[in-house]
Amino acid sequence: MTNRIVDHPVLGKLEERQKVQFEFDGKTYEGYENDTIASALLAHGIRTLRKHEESGNPRGIYCNIGHCFECRVTVNGETNVRACLTPIKANMIVESGQVQPHPLNPSQEGDIPKTYAEYLEQEGRG
Amino acid sequence: MQIYDVVIIGAGPAGLAAAIQCRENNLDVVVLDEFPRAGGRLLGQLHQEPNGQWWNGIEESKALLERAESLETDIQLGVSVHHIEKLDDQFVIHTKKKYFHTRNVLIATGAAESPAPIPGWTLPGVMSIGAAQVMTNVHRVKVGEKGIIVGVNVLSAAIARELQLAGIELHSMALPTRNVVVDEQSDPRLVMDRLSRIAHLAPSKFIQLGSKFAKYKFVQSLALKYYPTNGIKMWGMPIYLNKAIKQINGTDKVESVTMVDVTINGDIVENSEKEIPVDFVCIAGGLYPLAELAAVVGCPFIYSEELGGHIPIHNETMETPVKGIYVAGNITGIESSKVAREQGKVAGLAIAHKELNSIDIEEKLQAAVRNVVATRDAASIQFHPGISEGRKKVSTAFQETMKTQKELELVR
Amino acid sequence: MSAKNYEVAVIGGGIVGCSVAFYLAESGLDVILIEKNDIASGTSSRCDGNVSIVDKDPGFDSHMSWVSQELIEDLSKRLDRPFEYRKSGSILVCDNDDEMQAAVDWVKTQNEAGLKFNVLDRNDIKSESPFFADDIPGGLECETDSLINPYMFCYALVDKAESEYGLQVKTRAEVTNITKEGREFKIQTTNEDVRAQKIVNAAGVWAPFIGKMLDVDIPITPRKGHILVGSRQQPVMMRNVMEFGYLMNKFGRERIADKRTTEHGVALVLEPTESQNFLLGSSRQFVGYDPTIDIRVVETMARRALRFFPKMNDFKIIRAYTGFRPFTEDHLPIISEVKEVPGFYIAAGHEGDGISLATGTAKLMEEIINEKTETIIPKEPLSFDRFKKSEVYA
Repeated sequence: MTNRIVDHPVLGKLEERQKVQFEFDGKTYEGYENDTIASALLAHGIRTLRKHEESGNPRGIYCNIGHCFECRVTVNGETNVRACLTPIKANMIVESGQVQPHPLNPSQEGDIPKTYAEYLEQEGRG
Repeated sequence: MQIYDVVIIGAGPAGLAAAIQCRENNLDVVVLDEFPRAGGRLLGQLHQEPNGQWWNGIEESKALLERAESLETDIQLGVSVHHIEKLDDQFVIHTKKKYFHTRNVLIATGAAESPAPIPGWTLPGVMSIGAAQVMTNVHRVKVGEKGIIVGVNVLSAAIARELQLAGIELHSMALPTRNVVVDEQSDPRLVMDRLSRIAHLAPSKFIQLGSKFAKYKFVQSLALKYYPTNGIKMWGMPIYLNKAIKQINGTDKVESVTMVDVTINGDIVENSEKEIPVDFVCIAGGLYPLAELAAVVGCPFIYSEELGGHIPIHNETMETPVKGIYVAGNITGIESSKVAREQGKVAGLAIAHKELNSIDIEEKLQAAVRNVVATRDAASIQFHPGISEGRKKVSTAFQETMKTQKELELVR
Repeated sequence: MSAKNYEVAVIGGGIVGCSVAFYLAESGLDVILIEKNDIASGTSSRCDGNVSIVDKDPGFDSHMSWVSQELIEDLSKRLDRPFEYRKSGSILVCDNDDEMQAAVDWVKTQNEAGLKFNVLDRNDIKSESPFFADDIPGGLECETDSLINPYMFCYALVDKAESEYGLQVKTRAEVTNITKEGREFKIQTTNEDVRAQKIVNAAGVWAPFIGKMLDVDIPITPRKGHILVGSRQQPVMMRNVMEFGYLMNKFGRERIADKRTTEHGVALVLEPTESQNFLLGSSRQFVGYDPTIDIRVVETMARRALRFFPKMNDFKIIRAYTGFRPFTEDHLPIISEVKEVPGFYIAAGHEGDGISLATGTAKLMEEIINEKTETIIPKEPLSFDRFKKSEVYA
């Protein structure tokens, strides 16, 4: 954890806190008690928390206090959880947001599916 | 079903100060905040006062929290409030987990940062200036090795210093190039005007920026053409009003910014592009009151540029025209956390007075109201020079609203 | 400076006003569109985008919808701006066996009228969405139904009419008074006055206020609706779905549902949008012009959605909005000249069918104003006079 501000001229030395292990996209990371998902990951140099649902562009924190929802991730299966507000917990499973299919967008190849069955067929999942 | 005397939304300086007053008078109180730690925006603050003392937001928050906890205040963190429902004789606070029924509500939700979009701003590594503050001072995590700040104002200057203190290198502070959203932040004259009008607050160490401006002739004349080409240096970091950031570059994260020269009118000088390698960018669009909850419960609003945006109308004891709804802190206008704390005291006492109706509390309330004004006058940070005028406007609006309300009742 | 005299002034920049202005301008008339706020800033941006027959009473109502669908399909090829048009058909789902029986009858009646309806069984419903509850007995499909983005459609119409047919558009112009001077109208607005020989009142739920300025009582009342917006996520389904109970609510017929569902006029409508959000409706309430979001109604709607989509419990709703449907007593719009005030026309009162019927409405209005003998649909059922007759007996 090289990105920690250990010594601070005014705030003093970083207190030793309880270490917490959690999982992000299949890898285990260590953070401190009181870390949010966003702060624990940034301490490991991880800035990208999700991909934009349509464009796939990488996104990370913006406001860091819960207002902008840019940092939404999936936590233990629950989607759209704000990484900047959510404290890490032992064995928490965090997944980054991924590109979602957008079958109704006309820029896609092929006809726009009418039913879910047609959509699955087009995706080759039927 | 429990009916609280008051639900306080926001565990920042205003909310906590109010909770302390309510608990000292034995009211049933619950404080809700969606952030996992109490303290609100106060948590991240760190600056030097005119007397050389450090204002340490973490310590200040801790003091408030300890006092509140010693009074056995129920503080529930990680709870997001999404609605306030008004019934005939009470309010229902809707949160993700449960409903809270209460006779009074204090909305102390503080402020949010105005987004200031510039091309490339969605890249990981771009964040609001407040985000960098929280990461640095609260979480003690470095936001990067070397960055740049886009947007020049009191808040960004203060936080720039905090980043430096934490050992983070800053290239400079510059304006955003003009677009429809960042029109005001990109206008060198306007930015200059605002900075120079707070310069009289020197010799605050924090406002060294302002005092430096004050030394230059151009503060009086606003003749930006005399602005030094290399910027004015604050703590060794240049502040440019004649350069702006046109875009942020990178594929998976921030790699550089494109800086251009701008004229006195904010127009881009042709062929002046320069690429500056950075690994993070802070955007400073200024603060606005976070007032949605006041709106959904039916509080009337007034727009005040001096106070930072749309303000729920209230009187000097922080009551809104919606009986039982109180506001305190930055939701009532962008000011320092000290003012917020004093406003919180007023709101707490006003609610206690409403519930208990004692002369003793009333005297304390009057003293607390005076203290807000005194704190404001002594403040070393003012986000806008016209705060007192803004406050007057709100106060007049409150009287008018109440007058109309009374007239309507008479008609009925 | 002498004010220009237009042949027609259309008041109201919603989907009806924009469509009327479009067809009138296209027919060669000199037209101005007057809007108090901005294009599509009222009901037309606080609704969903269904262009449907599936929820129309068989007969005149469904015929008018069918005509409107054909016109929208034509416009999808002619207008320059895309407006998220997609012709996927739409479905109705049933809550119980009684509704299923009614649905089978409904399909039969619509088929007899020549419309393309099919009965859907349990398995068909499953292939519409994997999120549907297992106990839905079935439903029905209307093949010709389509979806548009009403907001973009309004802009597409106005853009084309402005650039090619000389339409003038005046926004931020609230009409404050109308007077008739000889054969022309003087329309005072908050953004300059306008003179016109004819006026089309397409102000939707606000049409009665315009009527009053010329002493015309227009029997339209606001019927409030809520819509929730679901977060962009994995596809829920591909086309619009309503529950059969929606028809019951709309026409005020008896329906088996709990008290709050009935009281808030709640029935499931789900529209998957092109941007991969979904819109979730619906509610119907007579509460005047108060636009406040009623959280209790929102809760009732969410609960109703869970009846059909139990897995939706984990989905995120990102916002809610309300709009006002211009309700008339007999659920048909008024598309008519006002005989008492020659030159004054009304195209309003579509309740929740403004999106479905705007183009048919507009084409008919263009034919009425241009005094054509043949009209695209019969105009008598839509005449303003019909309310006068009922008043006599009231």
